[in-house]
Amino acid sequence: MTYAGPRALLEVDLGSETAVRRDLDDAVFADALGGVGLAVWLLETMIDGPLDPLGPANPLVFAAGPFASTPVPAANKHAVATISPLTGLLNEGLSSSHWSAVLRRCGLAAIVVRGSARRWTTLVIEQGGVRFEDAEPLLGASAREATKRLRESLGDRTARVCAIGPAGEHGVAFATLDNDGRQAGRGGSGAVMGAKRLKAIVVRGRGDVRIADPERTAAVSAILRARAVGPATAKYRVTGTGANLRVLARMGQLPTRNFRAATFAGAEAVTPERARESRGEYLELRAGCAGCPVQCEHMYVRKGKPSETAAASEYESVWALGPNCGVADLDAVLAAIRSCDALGLDTISTGAAIAFAMECAEHGLVDASAFGPPLHFGNAAVLVPAIEAIGAMRGLGAVLARGVRAAAATIGGAAPAFAMHAKGLELPGYEPRALPTYALGLATCTRGACHNRAATYDRDLRHPDEGRGAVDRARDALEAEDVAAVWDALVLCKFIRDCFDDFYREAAELWSAVTGIELDAPALRATAQRHWERKRAINARLGWTPADDTLPPRLFEPIADGPLAGRRIDRDQLARMQSIYEELRAGSAVSP
Amino acid sequence: MTVELFGPARALAGRAAIELPVSEPVELPAFLRALATAVPAFVGEIVSADLDAFVAPNLLLLDGRRGADGIAFSSADRPCVLFLPSGG
Repeated sequence: MTYAGPRALLEVDLGSETAVRRDLDDAVFADALGGVGLAVWLLETMIDGPLDPLGPANPLVFAAGPFASTPVPAANKHAVATISPLTGLLNEGLSSSHWSAVLRRCGLAAIVVRGSARRWTTLVIEQGGVRFEDAEPLLGASAREATKRLRESLGDRTARVCAIGPAGEHGVAFATLDNDGRQAGRGGSGAVMGAKRLKAIVVRGRGDVRIADPERTAAVSAILRARAVGPATAKYRVTGTGANLRVLARMGQLPTRNFRAATFAGAEAVTPERARESRGEYLELRAGCAGCPVQCEHMYVRKGKPSETAAASEYESVWALGPNCGVADLDAVLAAIRSCDALGLDTISTGAAIAFAMECAEHGLVDASAFGPPLHFGNAAVLVPAIEAIGAMRGLGAVLARGVRAAAATIGGAAPAFAMHAKGLELPGYEPRALPTYALGLATCTRGACHNRAATYDRDLRHPDEGRGAVDRARDALEAEDVAAVWDALVLCKFIRDCFDDFYREAAELWSAVTGIELDAPALRATAQRHWERKRAINARLGWTPADDTLPPRLFEPIADGPLAGRRIDRDQLARMQSIYEELRAGSAVSP
Repeated sequence: MTVELFGPARALAGRAAIELPVSEPVELPAFLRALATAVPAFVGEIVSADLDAFVAPNLLLLDGRRGADGIAFSSADRPCVLFLPSGG
């Protein structure tokens, strides 16, 4: 059993401008797989107590997916792990496309960046070595602009760049990392990179990526690829995730105006499908990650406007800056998304911060004219000025730029009651009061309020009227977390989740064929518990306690409107589910 | 029977809702056959080729929040063909 793929770890110290390359053992890959599994495995060896997320001691880890740069579809992905400035706990995110693939073509499985540079730096990684270049001329540039300039200066249009935008430079706690137009979006990894004065990481490599059994890999990949262009992914290919908006609105569970309502009269006006159906009003552009047959990204721009100003219309972005802010103006929402992308801001946290500020302004806790146009729910004109102030950390924007939990503590008064977060990470666009298993997943998630680490809303949505007990819900939440952990270690895009007939069996087959380390379905399934234990151990060292696994106070109050009015999370029931969940995680017998 | 459509079903039908000529109340098997007849493009995409199930992640929810397995339903139940929201 010898791991076939690139196995080198590059350890970079920005303070001393040194880089050391060493190989990781087979046992590491057999245990951690790759992606998030590997990034967290590496991070666990480096975290021994609380640390300042924006200090030089916070490691920033990049780990390639083990299927990147292979024929496996929807798998050119990598993980980023660090300690989040929003939560003070582990943050592990995913990004994708060419950068992920080229990282492996440089012979690397992972990069660990430590320390802090004396000057703004671009790290250039090539097959032959590493260079530390002056990044001062790139300051203030968006990731897209920085990429363009770096390619020009290198004379290499194929160089792949992971960069931060101005928000990361300024230390906004929810700044993103951007590569190839994709982002590791949540949790503020961009702020960590900015605090290290690291503007960009360029990868340039053309090395071969060895596959243990090319024929077997090709056969399994071909099956998966065929399914990935079938009905299982139609919603991503045909409409994009923006179509979620109409569905959740119809179900009466579209979080609106900072989760004060679950129905939104302006939902139809702001759905991206409206742009798609406009027959000429908007131009629709399609994009996707390298090697992915799904091409899920649907971007829109008013006809006649330059195509480079098109904005992506993912559900979470549209929801956060639309319904969650009470805004029913699609053009304004698309402009706000574009502004977030240019500055390098997570759209979910940005929308949550603005909605939080709107509610604070309503209660006279902040200056309603802080951004110019009045700060109130429904005012589309305030979105871009607020986003620009957050990105520049200016005035009230500087308060919001630390995330809603920290902003609420600074503003005081009733503000903490308006801060919609779990462990400091702002809530995504699903209504936990309508989705009890998802609510449990949000509370227990090691990352905070992440909808992709415990996508337990799936069962809740499929069987909305099913009366499941606490034990079943706890099992569902654990199972959903474990499946996600394996997906994120392999790393496969979750948008092909319906393309597997028997996920663990088929994924184990792929892993074995690509890497040469044979794993069967039970062995693959077992990696999830180990990965979860590692994440929990890191958080415990950082000061996490079980009391942190809770939800914002508003969710214990009833939904105010719509067909689900009156639904709320019962504190005792949540505590009961959490207790069972912990018993299951500990391998204990569960009391009925 | 009026059926509301969402996502890929709406895109394939080119409409927000369709009328199905079925005797009410109707059970799921007859509903699926009527749906496939009304919009043949649904076969293999929204409704399985055997016309006996929805193709995941598409599903039927009554009034957007109640399952329809094993029960008869009518227009008053406001059937919706939608999909499981996820990701993004």
